[in-house]
Amino acid sequence: MSDLVLSLRAVEKTYLTGDVEFQALRGVDLDVRAGEMLALMGPSGSGKTTLMQIIGLLDRPTEGTYLLGGRDVTDLTENERAEARNREIGFVFQAFHLLPRLDLLENVEVPLTYAGIPAYERRERALEMLDRVGLASKARNLPSQISGGQKQRVAVARALAGRPRLLLADEPTGNLDTRTSEEIMALFTELNGEGTTVVIVTHEPDIAEYTRRVVRVRDGLVESDTTHTPRAGVRT
Amino acid sequence: MTAERLPAAQTPDEEETLPGRRGGLDFLGTLTIAWRAILGSPLRSVLTALGVIIGVAAVIALTAIGSGSTAGITKSLESLGTNLLTVQSGAPRFGGGGLVRGGPQQTITMKDVEAIGTFAPNRIAGVAPSSQSNVQAKVGSSNLQATVIGTWPAYETVRNSPVATGSFFTQDDVDGRKRVAVVGYQIVTDLFDGQDPVGQKIRLGNVSFTIVGTLPDKGNTGFGNPNAQVLVPLSTFQQRLSRGARSGTSVTVSNVYVQATDKDDLTNLQNDLTDLLARQHRIEDASSYDFNVQNQADALASLNATTQTLTLLVGAIAGISLVVGGIGIMNIMLVSVTERTREIGVRKALGAKPRDILTQFLVEASLLSVGGGLVGLALGVGCAYLGTLVNITPVFSPATILVAFAFSALVGIFFGYYPASRAARLDPVDSLRYE
Ligand SMILES: Nc1ncnc2c1ncn2[C@@H]1O[C@H](COP(=O)(O)OP(=O)(O)O)[C@@H](O)[C@H]1O
Ligand SMILES: [Mg+2]
Repeated sequence: MSDLVLSLRAVEKTYLTGDVEFQALRGVDLDVRAGEMLALMGPSGSGKTTLMQIIGLLDRPTEGTYLLGGRDVTDLTENERAEARNREIGFVFQAFHLLPRLDLLENVEVPLTYAGIPAYERRERALEMLDRVGLASKARNLPSQISGGQKQRVAVARALAGRPRLLLADEPTGNLDTRTSEEIMALFTELNGEGTTVVIVTHEPDIAEYTRRVVRVRDGLVESDTTHTPRAGVRT
Repeated sequence: MTAERLPAAQTPDEEETLPGRRGGLDFLGTLTIAWRAILGSPLRSVLTALGVIIGVAAVIALTAIGSGSTAGITKSLESLGTNLLTVQSGAPRFGGGGLVRGGPQQTITMKDVEAIGTFAPNRIAGVAPSSQSNVQAKVGSSNLQATVIGTWPAYETVRNSPVATGSFFTQDDVDGRKRVAVVGYQIVTDLFDGQDPVGQKIRLGNVSFTIVGTLPDKGNTGFGNPNAQVLVPLSTFQQRLSRGARSGTSVTVSNVYVQATDKDDLTNLQNDLTDLLARQHRIEDASSYDFNVQNQADALASLNATTQTLTLLVGAIAGISLVVGGIGIMNIMLVSVTERTREIGVRKALGAKPRDILTQFLVEASLLSVGGGLVGLALGVGCAYLGTLVNITPVFSPATILVAFAFSALVGIFFGYYPASRAARLDPVDSLRYE
């Protein structure tokens, strides 16, 4: 199917720590269609982050195949993976991971820099993205000067600056209070409404309520894959 | 909050056709990233570059002062006269130490001088025997300690010592043992208030002389104080001022200056004069010579040899300090890579290739070392000018500056490579997890 953004088949991941092998994923099948928004749920240690890292081309599966936008990306070289991360994937992390010495605008520019976009256009687009998350007025602030919720907004702006087809968020609200979490989820809902495919990892049921589709992972396997009516995004 | 301003709809599988998409990170971008990292921790950056700063400053300053003083000595050696041979009493010393005066008993007699004068007239442009003593020079009630040199008129050309005013004494003055004198610049300023003293009287010891000429300001540099010299006819000097230095029955002189006609003949003439004097003194064994003939070229050559040794030493010190500086850079860069593991992970997640990370840290290391080189250059030039405090005008060689600078840049790249490649090889998953 051509509108499949990603398709995992029999994906396994085995970590080797010293002599000890640990199988974090034990055969995961997962299809995500363009424009979907889904929550990956599961208890701590179930393999959500591992799965996210494989989807995000930060890590390779030990077994199985991975198609991203119809292309087999299982065996890409390191440079090809870097390029694909840059072009097709946007990351949002639990700990925000803004670069502390760069101001907000420069942070948003980072993926554009690696895409080789000229400085003036970079600046323009980064500013546009900051504006879309409501932080254009703080473009020249450092990350240390803004709140957690604002940091995560900047991270979202940075993830989307390169116009990726897939937005991956690993526990994006894990470091935020309830109210700010709701703001961020509302933002994801809106972005999804405008066409971006969103995969959110969470272990909080409240968060999963925002997505139509919920995939439950346990012990490295998909336990259930359900669809329900999402709760409407909260506006502030 | 800002829902109305969210992005326009975007079809997810739309083909991206952004300009420069495949081009990757441009050089200006890399430079900016590195520059930000350096400015981000200025104190650390300065400390990191300190080794290079000191290394480059040391090379620049030491070589400039070294060549400055060499140039100074060369100039003052050359100002003593060109194509100059000096016949002196005492056994020959090797290594060109012909600048030391006094010491051995005088063995060069007026007969020797005569022999030299008639030896090879077409190869010798001038002969000026000289004897000297320190005498009080007195005009009215003022006086100063002067070095009175008794010599021949040829001294003017042989020792490159033309008069500023008046004229040199003549052969007639020598033949007639006239009491005439050519006085140095300090005599004019100190005893005559700077007025031209030609025609005036001056007392040297107990003898009154008439001043016929003055010497120009020779600077209070070099050896002794050439401005306190007074030149008089040798015959007059021997009769009235010296204590009758003799060897056997012959009157002796301190030394004989001989100017060769041809520069290329200098060494041959030196050997021939040595043979001549050996015959005069009836000494066969070279090891028991009681005289020596110094060649000005020898002194210059040994000076140059010394300079080259010094230059090598300075180069070695500089090389070592630059290497130490490089190790400093490597050290701090390794710490910096560890500290910025998370940053590297984030950058990789956002699309940085290993090569981008490698370049980033390499450029950072090179910027540090090149910056250090520039600061060192400025510092070195500044320090070199401190040499003027001791009358050495520094001489800067563009080649040295270029080499020191290029070397410092290379040091950054060389010692930055290992930390940079470690950064480039970091696994994105591990680095994102790194606390
Ligand atoms: N790099 C690694 N090396 C070894 N074991 C790992 C590594 N990363 C994760 N694991 C293990 O794999 C399992 C799944 O981890 P993770 O995917 O982070 O779970 P989750 O995100 O669901 O909490 C855990 O038991 C964890 O200890
Ligand atoms: Mg996790």
